[in-house]
Amino acid sequence: MSAPERVAIVAAGAVTPLGPDLEAFWSALVTGASGISQIERIDVADLRVQRGGEIKKIGRIKSWRGLPEGRASRLLIAAADDLCAQTAFRPLPLDPARVAVVVGTALGGVEEGEKALAGDGRRRRFRDALYDAPAWDLARWLGARGPVVTVATACASGATALAVGADLLRGGEADAVVAGGYDALCRFVLRGFNALRSLTREEVRPFDRRRAGLLLGEAGALALLVRERDVTGPRLGILRGYGSASDGFHIAAPEPEGRGLERAIRAALADARLGPEDVDFVSAHGTATLLNDRIETAALKRALGPRAYEVPVNSIKGSLGHTMGAAAALEAFMCLLSAQRGLIPPTLNLEEPDPECDLDYVPGRARAARPRIMLSTSMGFGGCNGALILEAT
Amino acid sequence: MRAPGVRALGLLTGRPPAAGAAVHALARPDRPGDRFRRATRECLLALAAVDAMLEDGKATREAIAGERTALLYVTAAAYGASNREFVERRGGVVHFAYTAPAVVPAEVAIEFGVTGAYGILIGGAPATLRAIEQAGRLLDAGTCDRALVLVVEIFEECADLHAARRRYHRWPLVETAACLWLEPGAGELSFRSSRAGGRPGRAAGPERFAAAPLAELAEWLRGPAPEPVELAGRWRGEEARLRWTRVRSHARESAA
Repeated sequence: MSAPERVAIVAAGAVTPLGPDLEAFWSALVTGASGISQIERIDVADLRVQRGGEIKKIGRIKSWRGLPEGRASRLLIAAADDLCAQTAFRPLPLDPARVAVVVGTALGGVEEGEKALAGDGRRRRFRDALYDAPAWDLARWLGARGPVVTVATACASGATALAVGADLLRGGEADAVVAGGYDALCRFVLRGFNALRSLTREEVRPFDRRRAGLLLGEAGALALLVRERDVTGPRLGILRGYGSASDGFHIAAPEPEGRGLERAIRAALADARLGPEDVDFVSAHGTATLLNDRIETAALKRALGPRAYEVPVNSIKGSLGHTMGAAAALEAFMCLLSAQRGLIPPTLNLEEPDPECDLDYVPGRARAARPRIMLSTSMGFGGCNGALILEAT
Repeated sequence: MRAPGVRALGLLTGRPPAAGAAVHALARPDRPGDRFRRATRECLLALAAVDAMLEDGKATREAIAGERTALLYVTAAAYGASNREFVERRGGVVHFAYTAPAVVPAEVAIEFGVTGAYGILIGGAPATLRAIEQAGRLLDAGTCDRALVLVVEIFEECADLHAARRRYHRWPLVETAACLWLEPGAGELSFRSSRAGGRPGRAAGPERFAAAPLAELAEWLRGPAPEPVELAGRWRGEEARLRWTRVRSHARESAA
């Protein structure tokens, strides 16, 4: 079977707890800065954990007048604003009907639903509470009139969105796709994770033996995808492959052996027509929960074989928290920036490695390296597993 | 694109309510076992739709188990019920994980042992047509041997909120759970999506929830209707069309 059409990631934009744009995100990652802080925008007084990766000011947009009120939509628009600043993509330089939007989310516009149910009965609220509303707000802001797709594979959503975006290009449905993920912190999700007792009051310490859970974060992360043969200028990298698999095990807990993630990794490598020996760097989901990090390590060892011990594996969730629908897209961008800049960001707060997590997790400080092929893994509620294969250019 | 073939389709739709009610509701299915004690109505309806699909295909659950089965889930609004309950009961009743749309296909994956590729699309009828097209691609690429397109739409718990959007819908809202079993086929399938006009995100006419195309397909499968099948739907101003020939799979035709 012939290889699938290659899809280029031309550029990326982001708004994260680490700063208003992709450059701030990258600089903070490599210098070991943290975006975790006391949550201020939402009333968290009754919650056990009151910290997270909260964005104090959304992006660089000077006035939000006339733009959507919902925070989820604003995160997307701020990320798109950063993307457009790098690519001159607004106003659209091509037929708007050929520009698609594909975004992933775990929560959609649920905060608008919370407000509506709390008595703010503005008619718009409920419409904005639907999970696909922010994607349409983004399309409207961009002026895009091609397909608008929302995917919701929980915390693997950002990876799924990039893959679906690539499929739209390969299928000829669009000539350019703005794809990525987002999620906003709100009481709904903070209360939910609080009830699950998966949040930590300590630092987020992926792969550390003292790890005690995750912290949530919020972000918007978008990339401009174009068929590689249509790109004339610089590009960030290539989206080589994608794989997904369902655990079929439990609604909230990962399958204890990580078989679903292993299948997703194998499928992504097969899609990319590559083998484990080709992988130079792994961006792990690495949530710092007791189960996740051990299971993910086991899955990487089985899927990559001896190569798992030879390549750096990092997690950036210690730096900005778990940004849910945005996480996989941000981690994909981090991979490509690592290749471009020749530095792999460290796994923040990893000081005492867990003996069961015995791979090279890049503790301490950023490491000089220039990976060519990168694997990024994601896991989510419902046993959603996703894996992306990225290639440096 | 080479079209997938329909092996089976399970469809459950709500019954007409008392005069004046806006929702044709589906009852919460009974399902034995402690595992389902906390499951939400949309999850149980998804399981019932798969049961109905297996019955239609005269197949056992083993026929869809394993990593060679892909699962694509579509909904526009089914998560509304669990989200609302979680918000209004302050998180005390619904297990938080059940508020995630991903949990509906997860329950199917757990119950029937489906562990292959998966996807979840949020949107109305165009998203369902896109999911059928994606399933065709997965089959065409050899990523899976069979693909299930699962759709659940429930409205009863949020009927008052949907009423605020009534100008976008044709009333009444019919609750539906459906599962479509696709196999490699021999026909042709083309999918087109375009804007129906007006501003992006604004419906230019009556919207159709995600289940509508599968309800239409079920109707078509019941009779000797001519091919190609044309399915269409509009949501938030996107209008999608699917044109499909040789819709029935070889196995379904043989069984007939």
